[in-house]
Amino acid sequence: MATDGLIARVLPTIDLSEGHTFLVPSKRINETDDVSEFLCSKAYVDIMTFLLQLNRSMFPAKFPDGRVQTWPLNGEAVEFSAPIRQLQQLLSKIEDLLDATPLEPGEWRYANGAFKVWHDKVKKETPSLLAECLPAEILHARSSDPDGPTAEVELTEYFLGSWGSRERMDYGTGHELSFLTFLGAIWKLNGFPKNSPGVEERTIVLGVIEPYLELMRAVIKKFKLEPAGSHGVWGLDDHSFIPYIFGSAQLGPPISDSDPVPETGSLSDVVNPHGVTKANVVEEERKVNMYFSAIGFINDVKKGPFWEHSQMLYDISGVQAGWAKINKGMIKMYNAEVLSKFPVVQHFRFGSLFSWDRHPSAIPPPPRIHSSSGQETRPRQVPTTTLQDPGPGTKAPWATASQSIPPPSAGTTAPWATARAGGGPSTTTRVPPVLPDTSRLPPGPMAPTRAPWASSQPAGPAPTGNPNDSTTKAPWAK
Amino acid sequence: MGDLDRAIAQLRACRLIPETQVRELCYKARELLIEEGNVVCVDAPVTICGDIHGQFHDLMELFRVGGDVPDTNYLFMGDFVDRGFYSLESFLLLLCLKVRYPDRITLIRGNHESRQITTVYGFYDECIRKYGSANVWRYCCEVFDYLALGALVLGTSSELEPTGLAMNDSTQSTMPIDDVELETEVLNSKGEVTYSSYRPRQSASSDTSAENRNISPSGDIPSQAPLRTGAPGTGASGEGGGSYSSRTGAVLCVHGGLSPLIDTVDKIRLIDRKQEVPHEGAMCDLLWSDPDEIDGWGLSPRGAGFLFGGDIVKQFNYRNDLSLIARAHQLVMEGYKEMFDGGIVTVWSAPNYCYRCGNVASILELGEDTSNGGTVTRSNGDYGRSNGVMTGDKPGVRSPGRRYRVFEAAAQDTRGMPAKKPVADYFLPSQQAI
Repeated sequence: MATDGLIARVLPTIDLSEGHTFLVPSKRINETDDVSEFLCSKAYVDIMTFLLQLNRSMFPAKFPDGRVQTWPLNGEAVEFSAPIRQLQQLLSKIEDLLDATPLEPGEWRYANGAFKVWHDKVKKETPSLLAECLPAEILHARSSDPDGPTAEVELTEYFLGSWGSRERMDYGTGHELSFLTFLGAIWKLNGFPKNSPGVEERTIVLGVIEPYLELMRAVIKKFKLEPAGSHGVWGLDDHSFIPYIFGSAQLGPPISDSDPVPETGSLSDVVNPHGVTKANVVEEERKVNMYFSAIGFINDVKKGPFWEHSQMLYDISGVQAGWAKINKGMIKMYNAEVLSKFPVVQHFRFGSLFSWDRHPSAIPPPPRIHSSSGQETRPRQVPTTTLQDPGPGTKAPWATASQSIPPPSAGTTAPWATARAGGGPSTTTRVPPVLPDTSRLPPGPMAPTRAPWASSQPAGPAPTGNPNDSTTKAPWAK
Repeated sequence: MGDLDRAIAQLRACRLIPETQVRELCYKARELLIEEGNVVCVDAPVTICGDIHGQFHDLMELFRVGGDVPDTNYLFMGDFVDRGFYSLESFLLLLCLKVRYPDRITLIRGNHESRQITTVYGFYDECIRKYGSANVWRYCCEVFDYLALGALVLGTSSELEPTGLAMNDSTQSTMPIDDVELETEVLNSKGEVTYSSYRPRQSASSDTSAENRNISPSGDIPSQAPLRTGAPGTGASGEGGGSYSSRTGAVLCVHGGLSPLIDTVDKIRLIDRKQEVPHEGAMCDLLWSDPDEIDGWGLSPRGAGFLFGGDIVKQFNYRNDLSLIARAHQLVMEGYKEMFDGGIVTVWSAPNYCYRCGNVASILELGEDTSNGGTVTRSNGDYGRSNGVMTGDKPGVRSPGRRYRVFEAAAQDTRGMPAKKPVADYFLPSQQAI
């Protein structure tokens, strides 16, 4: 294995003293073709860099004296810095809001409308939560232009995008990506202490990301959130992806600071990948490992044979080349199935920290290799991206909360739904002029489709006004 | 027929049939479906089913609860495929049954019976995984294009035969008193009545001020309701005579709902349906729309189809002499959900949807009106159909008697684990594979 110059690559931080201009994050991915531009953007490179940096830190460490240190959940070997503890507090405050939000009775659809109540609380509290848990010099870092926005506008965007979609009442990998980006934004703003390689990173994963995932599992379970973009049994996981990346790294072979990230093999004497199919093994391992923690959640919420409802994870459990091989496959898959999928990344908003600008060294980025070749197996006439949120239905904005009429749940969203006019899938059918506007999304990756109204309806909680909204009225309707 | 029966037996055992046989089956199915109108007319008795989504074992449970084909007539309202693990087995079995018993089973199209949707939601992946190529997916998609868009159930009885009583003459005296009729009944998968509602019997002269009398609160099994003893499905066959003449309107069955472009059932008949489901327009709406607690029309958060309110349903039903719209398309935790004073019902037939939703499923049985000696007034939803009983302002269109059979997910302990694990693309030893 050749030494790779990128081994120690870390997400660059910003020196604010050199001047910086924050930007109100904006949507840039409006049609499927924009995804390839995204894959050449600075934001994409930064996201992947941060992800790989965190991933590397989770492999067991091999010290010069031969000693091996693993990084289990709840282990003693990591020490949380003050910023990490602050973020933990942030999460625990959001958890308090969750506990303080009772379910709404009498729901006949799947998801519970109280989710919106909780979501609204989080949104309302966000300014104070961020002010309490982030240092002022980060949260209020100023643009060189005194009239320009502060960092808060960018941090808030990614933070708010992390809690699922209020309108659709669902949660998926786009929301997970938003939280990862939130942490990446703090990193870029020098919000984490400088430390030896991997030290701070693994506390981010163990101390913040895993608690975040646990919190979201509680949210999903409590409100019965639909999976955003679930492919049913044909996807990896209904809701999340990154625990499979970090969890497989935890079980990979140990590496020293100078070793490249391994591509095969496992730590000796660790659980076999086949263990995911055994409930008792999962129950043990979920306490210490993120991969098993995610599978444990699947076992908690799903009833039925594992090989059937989670056939992809089942198949992966047959991989012979070890956890590092699984780790590598997961990263490739994340690249292709999350970051390269229009339905997921279309909701991502770009500012100064995660920028839409083309990355200087971006030629055709590596991820396109998978995504395009993966698509070649698809019939020509269908669009290359998958859709989004098949799952759940979205609550109609005009259904007031007091009516407790939950959204049509477990519905399927039209794949073309999220495309804007002119940005339709590459099928022969063009996106209809009216429907695309139904999918206006509130801020945040994976944020839901805005349900437009019948013209006579009050706008209700619809987050953004849409000048193009035109409700077709039946000729005989009043 | 021998081959077909063998194929049926094989699929019932959840084993796939060879690709060449699929091709032949799909060809035959298309020949059959091309003869059907966009709106298929179906005579009661019939059992109406909602989304299946590849939940094969639950489909078997459905047949156990509702009765087997051809003993029970079935109408499936689409979404046979996607999301579940056994879309192929489920759809191919239904298709075999359609070819084998064309008059006993009706299949209409759901929004998932589409090339674009199946490439995203799993059916395409399943075909590749189980057959190694997209051929079978292609054959199936060709069949999808020929599926009818809706169905009209005619000749339903406004009154249900009380469950089980038809089997036992000695209980005749315990029949509800003459001025009420059994309107709705809900049975669990054991055939036990968990809910029933009565309404005043309609006579030729009386108006219908339907005041429902709920004799048993939901979930409570009334003691006078004996366990069902007949064969599954017989409850809906409405063999008992003597019910009063009362006219029930037709029941329109469609996967999603209404469209602002469709104000009469006849307009559905004008659609050129033999195509991929379009992104907009009447055909799209019928497969994508949802009812909602709004007035008029609303844009759908799904990005296709519309939301429609109770006023739309009332007007549509009135104008088309319909007593009920039965549709699927939305998960409902109790298996069925009547809305807008019973003008529309959602029927959902995939229990514990996606292995995790914890919902029950249901099927809806509509009995046959035998009061006219079994002859059906052929209105087909047209205007001003004659009825011989009611005149004037159509006050007399009564909803059909509705029997819901609720069932849970099939037991899972009998399913065998596959012997070997195919290796997922991203994890193949060679990188070129990606």
